[in-house]
Amino acid sequence: MFFDTVDFSDLELPAAARALRKEVRAFLQEEARAGTYTPQVGHAEFSADFTRKVAVRGWIGMTWPKRYGGQERSYLERFVVTEEMLAAAAPCAAHWFADRQIGPGLLRYGSEKLKQKYLPAIARGKCYFALGMSEPNSGSDLASVKTRAERVPGGWRVNGQKVWTSWAHKAHAFFVLCRTSPDTGNRHEGLSQLVVELNAPGVTVRPILLMNGFHHFNEVFLDNVFVPDDMVVGEVGQGWKQITSELALERSGPERYMITFPLLVELIRRLGKTADARALEHIGKLTARFWALRRMSLGIALTLERSIPGEGGAKHATPDLATEAALLKDVGTFYEREITDAARLLVGVEPDPDAPDAFVRHLADAIVFSPISTIRGGTTQVLRTLIARRLLGPRT
Amino acid sequence: MNAPNEIRAMLVESAMRLFADHVDAKMLEAAKRDGWSAALWATMESAELPRVSVPEEAGGAGGTVSDLAAMLRVAGRYAAPVPFAETALLANWLLAGAGLELPRGPLVVLTGAPLSAQRSGTGWVVSGVRARVPWARIAARLVGLAEADGQLLVVMVDSGACQIAPGRNLADEPRDQVTLRQVAPLLAAPAAAGVTARALRQRAALGRALLMAGALERALEISIDYAKQRVQFGHPIAQFQAMQQELARAGGEVAVAVAAAFLAAGAVERRGEALTEVAAAKICAANAAREVALIAHQVHGAVGVTNEYPLHHSTLRLWAWRDEDGNEAEWSMALGREVQQQGADALWPLLTRDARAG
Repeated sequence: MFFDTVDFSDLELPAAARALRKEVRAFLQEEARAGTYTPQVGHAEFSADFTRKVAVRGWIGMTWPKRYGGQERSYLERFVVTEEMLAAAAPCAAHWFADRQIGPGLLRYGSEKLKQKYLPAIARGKCYFALGMSEPNSGSDLASVKTRAERVPGGWRVNGQKVWTSWAHKAHAFFVLCRTSPDTGNRHEGLSQLVVELNAPGVTVRPILLMNGFHHFNEVFLDNVFVPDDMVVGEVGQGWKQITSELALERSGPERYMITFPLLVELIRRLGKTADARALEHIGKLTARFWALRRMSLGIALTLERSIPGEGGAKHATPDLATEAALLKDVGTFYEREITDAARLLVGVEPDPDAPDAFVRHLADAIVFSPISTIRGGTTQVLRTLIARRLLGPRT
Repeated sequence: MNAPNEIRAMLVESAMRLFADHVDAKMLEAAKRDGWSAALWATMESAELPRVSVPEEAGGAGGTVSDLAAMLRVAGRYAAPVPFAETALLANWLLAGAGLELPRGPLVVLTGAPLSAQRSGTGWVVSGVRARVPWARIAARLVGLAEADGQLLVVMVDSGACQIAPGRNLADEPRDQVTLRQVAPLLAAPAAAGVTARALRQRAALGRALLMAGALERALEISIDYAKQRVQFGHPIAQFQAMQQELARAGGEVAVAVAAAFLAAGAVERRGEALTEVAAAKICAANAAREVALIAHQVHGAVGVTNEYPLHHSTLRLWAWRDEDGNEAEWSMALGREVQQQGADALWPLLTRDARAG
């Protein structure tokens, strides 16, 4: 039904990943002790300093080939770094999208020139990327994007508008999903991915403030922006296939159930050793659910890792775990809310974003952030439609 | 079905075939009256199913707890009315660990605090009362732990020497009261290292969670089939998004419960006691039972609540089993207590510790 290729009775991280965990944890503890950042629930903070420190340790683009600045380490080691960063609510925003989507996308589809241009800079923590997917009239229905690229000598002229572009105001460049040929009926064809530098003439970035005033999102206007041919990622017209091929890893990552985890830790601290039966029941249930969700996420990562081509070709056929990933995101994002609710009800403080106390501050941030996880990266309703398709089989 | 390796795949396939061939509506109906299916048990025994995870030197097939777990899930899927988990996961583990011979026939297990044992001549006599013992009246032999002066024994008693007052759970499975008054065991030997009342309780909960995993999948499958066939407003109801969203939500809960049950099986296999994993398995199974059973009935409309329609074989069991061997509140509190004792900063290390570590 689901997860048929995942062996949950034997999930273990390799020794290298376990050793790495200790290193990452020690680094993060030292950063926390030195007070270089304030842990924050919700959107990670953007810190160029922090990203450079992470890069020095080789933890950005760590799965990439060494010739592009990577470390050729496994996806499982990356999994460990990611979950440690999330547990510590570390300010990862500057390298987040480049490490998770841009790098893998360039490696798989990008020209040699594009790889050389961006990957080493990303891995050094010097180049930040954003993702230009959504548009004002294209949210869940991404294939309906209206941003157009027209052929001009030496490249493309791009016109359109992107929205909800995280950190575009700090990033150097972004991937733009756009239409390179008219919609001829098959709407998944004729889409392409381009790299657009955010300082290019014709690009305008405007902030969209979140309801708490936080500047994370932007809208990006593209007005006759010239994009040279060599900034096309992969094949012209294959953009849809390219962006959907990596969904299993993207949707099943620890960021899909860990956003409010720091609040759970502070809740346990608040409750202390005198927690009553009601509190114990909540804490036990939240711990149990986390245990299962994390292992499901790890199970997807382990299964995909085993199927990644080695030097002698593919080790195994790549199992299709996109539906499992959708399912994990659906369950995981609702789990995040359960933590927030338990924290509210068990402690009974008023959420205060300015509180010096980490618990109260995390609670406030978690509440304001609570609608976001179930919208970004595939809404609950879209995910459930995907899951139902697997359950029901082809429509008859 | 989950079949990550070839041996597991073979075991699961043969178990699926066995149950598919021998469990049907008529048999399940008869089992409500008779308490179980002796014929099914005989077939399972001739296929050596109850001994899958018994070591070869004790007369078993030498498989792992995870191998057995995969078959328990299949048994749960078919609502097999036999004491499979009790015999294969609990009794055979107790007996084989103590070096005692494994008898043929279904075995019933007394969980909870150990019985009290007293010396009697060169042997022992054991006493105690246990409520709602699964399957007690259908088995010739009962197995349990007994304690005398701090020594823990595994004992097997003749059920004829006990008083058994019949009872049942929501699904008409026997849940009987068993009273032992100075009963001389047929067999008794010191319990193996690692065999404790707590470990036994965890295994019982694990077995329950695995059966529930199968029952959850079955309830969902029946609902999917029904939704594809039932036509209303001119369309199969599976085409309505409202229905799809509910089925998908059920699918999520089922997947979590199945994963948690197998994670717990692996942990018990490696470490014996595994509070976090077993608690997670039982909690996730019970959560899923609450959501999935009602979604399944909602999808079916009125037809699902009838005695004639097969859905109730799964849903009644889910509602019964979630409260057996500790419900989600009990396991949550046990795990919560452990987490609070260790403190906030120990949570993340606990959650990320190596699967093989204690």
